[in-house]
Amino acid sequence: MSYVYTVARLRGMENHILDTAFFSRLMDSAGIDEALKALGETSYSQWISQNGNSFDKAIDSEMAATFQELETFVPDKGLLDIFRLPYDFHNVKVLLKGLFKVRSGELEGRRYDLLSNLGTVDPEELKNAVETEEYGYLPYGLTDLIPQCWQLWDATKSAQAVELLIDHQMFKAMLNVAESLKMPDVIHWVKSRIDAENLRSAVRLARMKYDSAKALPFFHEGGTIRPDDMAKLLNEPQETWGRLLSHTDIGAVLGALQDSGNIKAALTDVSKSLDDYLIKVLENAKYSMDAPANVLLYLLTKEAETRNMRVALVCVAGGLDREFGRRLLSNGR
Amino acid sequence: MEYLGLSLALFGAALAAALAGIGSAIGIGIAGGAAAGVMTEDPNKFGSCLILQALPGTQGIYGLLIAFFVLNKLGLLGGAGAVALNWNQGLQILASCLPIAVVGWYSAIWQGRTSAASIQMIGKKPEAMGKAIILPAMVETYAVLALLTSILMLMGVQVG
Repeated sequence: MSYVYTVARLRGMENHILDTAFFSRLMDSAGIDEALKALGETSYSQWISQNGNSFDKAIDSEMAATFQELETFVPDKGLLDIFRLPYDFHNVKVLLKGLFKVRSGELEGRRYDLLSNLGTVDPEELKNAVETEEYGYLPYGLTDLIPQCWQLWDATKSAQAVELLIDHQMFKAMLNVAESLKMPDVIHWVKSRIDAENLRSAVRLARMKYDSAKALPFFHEGGTIRPDDMAKLLNEPQETWGRLLSHTDIGAVLGALQDSGNIKAALTDVSKSLDDYLIKVLENAKYSMDAPANVLLYLLTKEAETRNMRVALVCVAGGLDREFGRRLLSNGR
Repeated sequence: MEYLGLSLALFGAALAAALAGIGSAIGIGIAGGAAAGVMTEDPNKFGSCLILQALPGTQGIYGLLIAFFVLNKLGLLGGAGAVALNWNQGLQILASCLPIAVVGWYSAIWQGRTSAASIQMIGKKPEAMGKAIILPAMVETYAVLALLTSILMLMGVQVG
């Protein structure tokens, strides 16, 4: 299959993506039953009926079906792997944390219900590999990573340190996959994704009053901004971050931070701005009829849709403040 | 050396038909890939996609037209036998064929790419069909100019 075919098909598929206005209307539903009824004419309806009205599983099923469909016609599977491998790393975290709890005497510590089926490795196979300590065939450096996690756990008993180690490897693996594709737009996007994650961490760490030395291990290598420079932000007032990063693409996103003096309120705004930024990085691909980055753009938009779906349904089911929910909606389409 | 003129003229005709034809085949192939992608999601767009896919095919026809023109000029179509040509006349006919051969080949490929982009456009916005046709048609202008150049040049070559 060529990318001309792929992009044309994605353009057709984009018509089925639900827009923010739809989710805004969905949030006006009186209850979850009415909201699920409103989904009757969308692609989610089949998954809702199959999963016994569990919208969480239905949303995952929709994303899994999207990956499955794209696999049939996207020429480079690596483009999908960039999106899917975070779910593999999430599963590794879930499995290891469960085993850590079991080792600490909490026999019911395993949480297999939290495993995601959206990764590239079957969760059942991953579970067997981790439990039997036979991870020789696992991809993305997991073969070496899992024993390192055990060593770190034995030395520190810190689940957070293990989680960080896993995240570092995840971004390294993402960059490796992107570099193996030899597509400059895709490599640039992965670097921007790392920057975005680092900036998100910086906002959180600033909120927790971390200084640069203490915060440094939280930042990932591989972005366009070095972890050192990212950590230095924490020594500066939040209002100056935009100016300090003005030479980078991501600097503009900090406008959201500067507009808000309250860092607590800024967290959701920055998170949303970063999601929009990651879509914007790929915007040039929209104007190309055969740019592989269109695959990433479609997946980002689809992910934004599933995120919006979750926000809307949680709001309706939990009777939460609809205005707050609307603020959380991403501008996917 | 007796047939060098005729050989050069026939080589020109072959180039016109072959290069423009190859360009059209590539262009239609590119546009076809996009059409298949759009129609996988919405088969109702077949009519619009077909028109846009066919656009890069015209260069192949122009090449064929020039090839016929040359064959007719050489007297190879009527059965009366080929006219006598010196190498200079043969070279003139070969040169006359080059505009449509080269421009036809190249413009068909680019028209195919523009058609593919237009097909993607109607995949998302079917109401923009009118605009979608104009964009690849702009590329056609230069194929038509090349065709005219080839015809005018051929008409100017004196044979027999």
